[in-house]
Amino acid sequence: RNMDVEASLENYFDQTIAGSSDYIFEGDLGLQGPAPRLQDSSFLSSLTSQEKDLTEDLDLSFLPDELGTQDEPSQAENLSRNEDSGIYTDCPPRESTEADTDTSNSAQNASQFNLPMTPMTPMTPMTPVAESSGIIPQLQNIVSTVNLACPLNLKSIALQARNAEYNPKRFAAVIMRIREPRTTALIFSSGKMVCTGAKSEEQSRLAARKYARVVQKLGFPAKFLDFKIQNVVGSCDVCFPIRLEGLVLTHQQFSSYEPELFPGLIYRMVKPRIVLLIFVSGKVVLTGAKERSEIYEAFENIYPILKGFRKQ
Amino acid sequence: MPSSCPECGSSNVVEDDLYSQRQWVCVDCGSVVSEGHLTTTVSDETQGRAVPYHASTEVLKKPCRNLIAGFSRVRALCRILRLSSDMESAVVSLFERAYNHPNFIFVTLTKKEILGGCCVLSVCRQCNWPVAMGTIGYLLGVDNATLGTVYREFTKALNIEISTIGIMDMLESFCYDFKLGPQQVEEVFAEPPQRLVDRTSALIELAADAWIVTGRQPLPLLFAAVYLAWQSLNPTVRMKYTFVKFCKIGKAPEQSWHRSRDSVVKRLKELRDVLCKLGRELPWLRGGTVEPNTVVPLVDDILKNHRALLLRAVRNYEQQLQNESQTAQTTECDNELSDSNRSESHSSTTPELMDPDQAGCENPADKQATDCQLPPDHWSKRHLFLPPCVKNRKRQRVDAPQLEVTGDEEISDSEIESYIRSQDEIEMYLKVQKELKKMA
Repeated sequence: RNMDVEASLENYFDQTIAGSSDYIFEGDLGLQGPAPRLQDSSFLSSLTSQEKDLTEDLDLSFLPDELGTQDEPSQAENLSRNEDSGIYTDCPPRESTEADTDTSNSAQNASQFNLPMTPMTPMTPMTPVAESSGIIPQLQNIVSTVNLACPLNLKSIALQARNAEYNPKRFAAVIMRIREPRTTALIFSSGKMVCTGAKSEEQSRLAARKYARVVQKLGFPAKFLDFKIQNVVGSCDVCFPIRLEGLVLTHQQFSSYEPELFPGLIYRMVKPRIVLLIFVSGKVVLTGAKERSEIYEAFENIYPILKGFRKQ
Repeated sequence: MPSSCPECGSSNVVEDDLYSQRQWVCVDCGSVVSEGHLTTTVSDETQGRAVPYHASTEVLKKPCRNLIAGFSRVRALCRILRLSSDMESAVVSLFERAYNHPNFIFVTLTKKEILGGCCVLSVCRQCNWPVAMGTIGYLLGVDNATLGTVYREFTKALNIEISTIGIMDMLESFCYDFKLGPQQVEEVFAEPPQRLVDRTSALIELAADAWIVTGRQPLPLLFAAVYLAWQSLNPTVRMKYTFVKFCKIGKAPEQSWHRSRDSVVKRLKELRDVLCKLGRELPWLRGGTVEPNTVVPLVDDILKNHRALLLRAVRNYEQQLQNESQTAQTTECDNELSDSNRSESHSSTTPELMDPDQAGCENPADKQATDCQLPPDHWSKRHLFLPPCVKNRKRQRVDAPQLEVTGDEEISDSEIESYIRSQDEIEMYLKVQKELKKMA
């Protein structure tokens, strides 16, 4: 069984973007890591391709016509290439409901060029569209991986660290925990690390950096390569009971409801590719996302379906 | 052992095997003096081994012993569940497919047994005669979780579409399991199966409306419903028999209900509570008390008029809520006073509609056994009937305050050092480890 868990954890690493070292860490670690490959055009295109998936779902009709030529909302790097539009745009905060729901007003908004001017970095979470449901899923767990890029002596780590567990007969990794952000890390002898338990992407990154620092202080030349968020888990409450038996009948291609095995209904949404656990109490757990926007989108997709099964 | 060569007469004869055939050869002239016999009978073979199938040129593989044993086990399962011969043959062929599938050919024997159960489960669902996983589970001696894992693997590997079954589908086969025919038990206990099915079905429909069914294990609920149905069909005589006694009368196999006894008791309580809530609405009772242990004789009336009663109960509850919110607004400062007034008017003409749990929530003074900790303005207060998991929330969920970080903060050395052992600690740890090893 150990093998299965290890194999599935290792799978995380198979999917890292080839050749992209997004968060190469030089400052804190005081190391001379490989120079950031910003000049590498493939790195930039990989970034923009990530953003493209996001933007396909964004309604940008409110943007003024002059910006219509730009494919994606800005990134600092992208803008340095476009000499003409020295404009930074952000997905404007969605407090203004007219922008999305009423397209006739889009012309109005377009003429008023009052968009906030903040640069958007790739990891900035998108503000969720709250008008349709009024409920925003809370993030509960973030799983991320990072490559420390040096072989590690797990016995030595377990001996020198206060917060480490190592039981090679049960599992071939050191289990380390830190208090803030409250997280757990699995550190493998290959130098790869999995960090779980954080409540936001930034917390996960901070925690992973702290673990890397601990490993460094224990005498290993740890780097911080290929940091990637692998899974985002969110949950929320729709505040009404749900007829799961009805839902599984109408959405049988996506749903699996076996009360003898699990009390919740397992809904596998295709777009975005998210798995939702829906319970009779109205609580919903969403998992399998690589970004928090997928969680928000999935919930907005499921909410009208669930409302249909609200029984008075 | 020949000593001299017949050809040249020399006595220099040595043993020089040709491959694995013993030969005695003359060194001088090279002639073979004598040779060992290649054996011709099987009994002479001392180092013989049967050639395994994969190394032979055999075309048709004989079914292995475990597969044959699996077939007989699967057939036995089908006979116990009284499946038709068509279904039995479908199960057998499905089992053969599954057994020889690369994912399952090398698994443990226990898993192969469970695989047989999964085949039965799958065919039963396809033929619209669904069997509960719990039933297969107790027949095989495994728990639902193990069965479920194998079942999921099995449907994935063989690309079988899982059709969902509802509790109502399982009802008929479940009721027929109880031996309550007029020839099998005493007159007062006997119940024709169809009557039992109808009554149980009505009870479960009611339970479903009251949110007791969704998300729960179906078997304990089926047991509870059948028991109540049986009691309600002749309450004067049958009220005094407990659930366990009923199972013994109906000769239900002990393994099937023994494990879920506690759940059955809980479901019985929930069912009786729902019946009480509705029973109170019966107009001819004129607001008399309806208690869980005396509600069974009323079941007949309740079921006959269940829709009207449901409407009345919900409407009255909403009315009650409205009245309460009005009194709460007008007598804000006298909150405690009005609470005590309400508890005094318990025995008044208006039937007590509030869920005892919710009453506990509003009067923090009287601690209920359920210890519900819902905030006073929780959405569940607006509903009379709710899934029990919403009303009985035992622990208040505490959301930890969100840490606002950018991920790029400076990490202090002191914090990192707090996670690292000092040299003394390490030495002490190693010392203790050595001592423990010496002791072990």
